[in-house]
Amino acid sequence: MCGIIGYAGSDPDTTENVLLDGLSSLEYRGYDSAGIAVANGMLDVYKRSGELSVLESTLDGKTVTGPVGIGHTRWSTHGPPTDENAHPHTGCSDRVAVVHNGIISNDESLKSTLTDAGHTFESDTDTETVPHLIERFLDRGYSPAESFRHAIKRLDGSYAIAAIFHDSDEIYATRRQSPLVVGLGADATYLASDVPAFIEHTDRVIYLEDRQVARLTPTDVVITDDDGERVDPAVDVVDWDPEDAGKSGYDHYMLKEIYEQPQAIRQSTRGRILELDGSVTLPDLPESIVEETDRVQFVACGSSYYATQYGAALLRERGIPTQTFVASDYDVERIPLESGTLVVGVTQSGETADTLGALRDANRAGATTLAVTNVVASSAARECDATVYIRAGPEISVAATKSFASQQATVAILASVLDGRRPNPFLGGLRDLPSDIQRVLDTSNAREIAAEIVDADAYFFIGRGYQWPVALEGALKMKEITYAHAEGFPAGELKHGPLALVTERTPVVALVTGSNEVVEKTVGNVREVESRGAPVVVVTDSPEDVAHLADFVLEVPETNPALVPVVTNVQLQLLAYWTAYELDRPIDKPRNLAKSVTVE
Amino acid sequence: MTERTAVVLAAGEGNRLRPLTRHRPKPMLSVGVRPILEHTLDALVDAGITSIVVVVGYKRTDVQSYFGPSYRDVPITYVTQEKQLGTGHAVLTAESSVDEDFLVVNGDQVIDATLVRDVLDAHDEHDSAATLGLIYRVDVGEYGGVITDGEAVVELVEGPQDDRDYRLNVGVYCFEQTVFEAIRRTAPRAGEHLLVDAIDHLIEIGNTVHGVESDGFWAEANYPWDLLGLSQTLVAEDPLIEEPRIPESTNVHESATIRTPVVAASDCEIGPGAVVGPYTCLGTNTAVESNAVVERCLVDTDGRIGPNATLVDCVIGRGVRIGPGTTAPGGPADVRVADRIYEGRQLGALLGDRVNDRGGSTYAPGAVVGADATVRSGAIVDGCNRSAIEVDR
Repeated sequence: MCGIIGYAGSDPDTTENVLLDGLSSLEYRGYDSAGIAVANGMLDVYKRSGELSVLESTLDGKTVTGPVGIGHTRWSTHGPPTDENAHPHTGCSDRVAVVHNGIISNDESLKSTLTDAGHTFESDTDTETVPHLIERFLDRGYSPAESFRHAIKRLDGSYAIAAIFHDSDEIYATRRQSPLVVGLGADATYLASDVPAFIEHTDRVIYLEDRQVARLTPTDVVITDDDGERVDPAVDVVDWDPEDAGKSGYDHYMLKEIYEQPQAIRQSTRGRILELDGSVTLPDLPESIVEETDRVQFVACGSSYYATQYGAALLRERGIPTQTFVASDYDVERIPLESGTLVVGVTQSGETADTLGALRDANRAGATTLAVTNVVASSAARECDATVYIRAGPEISVAATKSFASQQATVAILASVLDGRRPNPFLGGLRDLPSDIQRVLDTSNAREIAAEIVDADAYFFIGRGYQWPVALEGALKMKEITYAHAEGFPAGELKHGPLALVTERTPVVALVTGSNEVVEKTVGNVREVESRGAPVVVVTDSPEDVAHLADFVLEVPETNPALVPVVTNVQLQLLAYWTAYELDRPIDKPRNLAKSVTVE
Repeated sequence: MTERTAVVLAAGEGNRLRPLTRHRPKPMLSVGVRPILEHTLDALVDAGITSIVVVVGYKRTDVQSYFGPSYRDVPITYVTQEKQLGTGHAVLTAESSVDEDFLVVNGDQVIDATLVRDVLDAHDEHDSAATLGLIYRVDVGEYGGVITDGEAVVELVEGPQDDRDYRLNVGVYCFEQTVFEAIRRTAPRAGEHLLVDAIDHLIEIGNTVHGVESDGFWAEANYPWDLLGLSQTLVAEDPLIEEPRIPESTNVHESATIRTPVVAASDCEIGPGAVVGPYTCLGTNTAVESNAVVERCLVDTDGRIGPNATLVDCVIGRGVRIGPGTTAPGGPADVRVADRIYEGRQLGALLGDRVNDRGGSTYAPGAVVGADATVRSGAIVDGCNRSAIEVDR
C-alpha cells in the first residue's frame, strides 16, 4: 500500500511544494521510499529509499519546476525499499513517468513480453511494467491519452495509477479497487490516494469509480468511463479540518489519539443513546435491515477484527447467532450464508483491501452488507447496502487506538439495536464511558509500570469472556510499537500450552473484571503464572480483591461489565505506549507497517 | 489583515481552586458550560488574532486534548513550561514562537474582545515598549494596581493597600521584543520571574509603557464560589452568552421544568419531573434523572444527577455521579480554602472530578469532596474531605 499525489497547476514553481506537502500527509500509507516526477518538456524524476526527509534533503538546493507533477510514498510489496524500486517509474526513454498503488498481478507475463520486445527493466517492481507498456503504444504513434487507455486495459490486479508525459501538461489517472480522489481547486487540480493530501488547497472533490479514467489539466478535469464515454461525476465537498493533522503538543500522534478517546466516544454515541425513552438507536441503519437480520457475520482485519470479536460476544449473548471472520480468510464459497444474514465489515479507513474483498464477495452472494467505518465516502461506505460511521475523527498513528475504542462503542450500539430490548441495559453505561476513560487517563500509573517491565523476553496478555479480545488487542499494540514478542490468550488456555513459555522474564498482563465467577477463574490463572515467577500486571475494577496477587495494578472504574473492555483497553494502550517510549521506538511509524492496508 | 500573535498563559494550577484542579489547570475549569480558556480564546479570535501560542505546564494534556491544533481556524502552538516559575518565565518559554510585537493574556480569567481590541489599538497608535489593559474598579486591593500619568504607566503595585488612584491591571498586554531581555534582567521574587517586575524594569530604564483604560468585560475566579457567581453572571446577562439556551441535541422530557436562566451544552438529557434552574449550567453529556432538582449549580461535563437528588448552589466537577435522593440544600457557609476560613460564602457543596456519590447522602453547606472519592450511601458530609478517600460516616 502506498500514497499517490498529483498536481496540475498554473504556477510551475509551486508544483514541488504541493507534491512534497501532499506526500507528508500521506506518509501514514507507507514510508520506506518516496519520489516525485515533474514534466517541463523533459521529465525530472527524483526518488530515494527511506523516509520523505531523505527525498527532501536530496531536493535541497535544486529547482524542480513544471506545470504538472506526480509523487509517491511507498510501502514495499514487490522488491526491497531501494532507490531503484522507489516510484515514479519511467520507461526506456524518459517520456512517461508513472506512480502506482496496489498490485499488478499479471506483471510477470507483461514483463516477459516487453523484454522480448527489447525493453529493459531497472527495478524489481510490478509497477515498472506500466510505463514500458505505455511507451510501447507511444512508439506506435498513439497519443498519450490513447497510450494510457490501451496500457491499462492490459493490466490485471488492483491499482490506482497516475501518469505524466514529458511534453504534456496533463495527468492521466485511473483506479481499480484502490482509492483515488480528484480535487478541484481555483486554478489547479489535484489527485491523491486520500483527501488530506490536498485538503489545504481545496475541499471540492470527485471520488473516482473503478475503471474510470481522469484527465487533469490546471483548469479542468475530464472523467471518462471504461469505454471512453465522458461521464458527469458528482462533486462532493468534504468537511475535514486540515489542522486535525497536527500533534497539538504531544510527542506522538498515538498519545494524542489515546487522550482524544473521551471525545471520540462522545461523538460515537452522539444522538444514539436516548435515555428518556430507554432506547439505543442507529439512525443511519435502515429499519428494514434491523427487521430482516437473523444472524450476523463480521469480516475485519487486525484491531478491527478484535473489535468484531467483542461485538460477536455481545450479539450471541442477545440470542443472535454471530460469527467472526478474518477478512482475508473469508471464503463465501465455503461458508454457509443463510438468508437473513447481515455481513458487517469493520474497517477504520474503509479502504482495507481484504475487508473490501470479503464485502464484495458477500454482496455477490446476495447477502445484505453493512460497513462500520471511520471515513466518510470511503470504498466500504460506497459499496455496502448501509453504513454506520464510528465518528472517531482522523487517526494518523499507524497503531489504532481511538478508532478501536469507537469501534467497540459502535458495535455495542449495533448489538443493542439489533436486540431491540427496552430499556436497553447499556443506556447509562454508554453515557458514562467518556468519564470512565477520562479517569483512566487522569490516574493511570502505566508509565511507571512500563519502566519496570520494559526489559523482558516476551509479554503475555490473558482475559476471559469480553476481555479476551482486549487481551489480543493489548498484545497486538505491544508488538506493533515495541517490537517485543507479545501474545494474547483466553485466560483458561494458558495451561494448555503457552504456560511452557512463562518465566520470570515474561510479564503477564491479566484482565480481571466481571462477575465473581469469572474473576475467581481468572485469579486461578494468575496464580499459575505467579508460581512460575512471572511479573504479574493486573488490570482490574476491584483492586481490593486481587491486588495481593499482583506485582503491579492498573485500576479501572467500575462500570457495566459488558462495557468495561472499552476502558481496560485504554490501560493496555498506555502500557504499550510507555514501554515503546522507554525503548525509543518510532511509535507513530513502526517498521514494516502502514496505516491503511490497501493490498490483499 | 495584519498577522498578530497572542501568547496565552495557561500553565498554572490555581491551588485555591482545589480539588477542582486535581486533574486540570485552572484555565480548564468551567464557567458557564465551557472552560475559562475557551472564553479567552474567543475574545482573542474575535479581536482578530491570527495565531495563538498557549504556554502549558501543569496537567497540560487536558488543554492540548480539548483544543487540539486550532481554535476557530486560528492555529495553536503549544509550548511547555516545565516548572511554573512565574508569569515572566512563562512568557520566556514562548520566545522562539513569536516575532515582532505580540499580545500576552492570562488564560485563567474571562475577558471579552473589546478589552483585547483596546490594547491592540492603543499599542498600534503609540510607539511604546509595552501597553497594558486597565479597568476601573473601586477596590483593587486584591489585584494588580497601576498608577498612571495620563496614558503613561508610572508604577505597578501588587495588592495595593493605600488609597491612591489605582487602575486594575487585567493581565492583557502588548509587548515589543525587548520584553524578553527585560524579563531576563529582572531578579526573581520568591523564586518567580514576574511579568510585572519586567514591566517595572522597562519603565526604570527609560522606556515608555502605556496603559489603556477599557470598558470591556473582565472577571477572575480565584475561589470555588467565584465560579458559581461568574457563571451566573454569564448565564443571566452576560455579553458573551447571548441568551440562556438548550441545544437540539439535548433531550428534555415533556414533564421536566426549565426555570430560566439555564444553559445546557450538547448531548444532555433531562428526565421526567426534573427541575433545572434558575441559574444552572449543565456541561456536555450530562444526565439529570427523574425528579431531580438542580438549582443555581455549575455541573461540568459527563455528570449524572440521580433520581430525586436535590442540589442547590453546588460546583460539580467532571464525570461526577450523584446517586438517588442525595441532597445538598445550599446556602451560606464557612468554607476552608488552604489555611484560611472564608465566612458566609454561597456554596452548597464542591465536588471534585468523578466523585461517586452512591445516593441518599446529605451535604452540609460548604462541604468539599476531593476528586475520585466515593461517598457511601447515606453519608452525612461536611467540611473538607481529601482526595481519593472514602467518605463514610
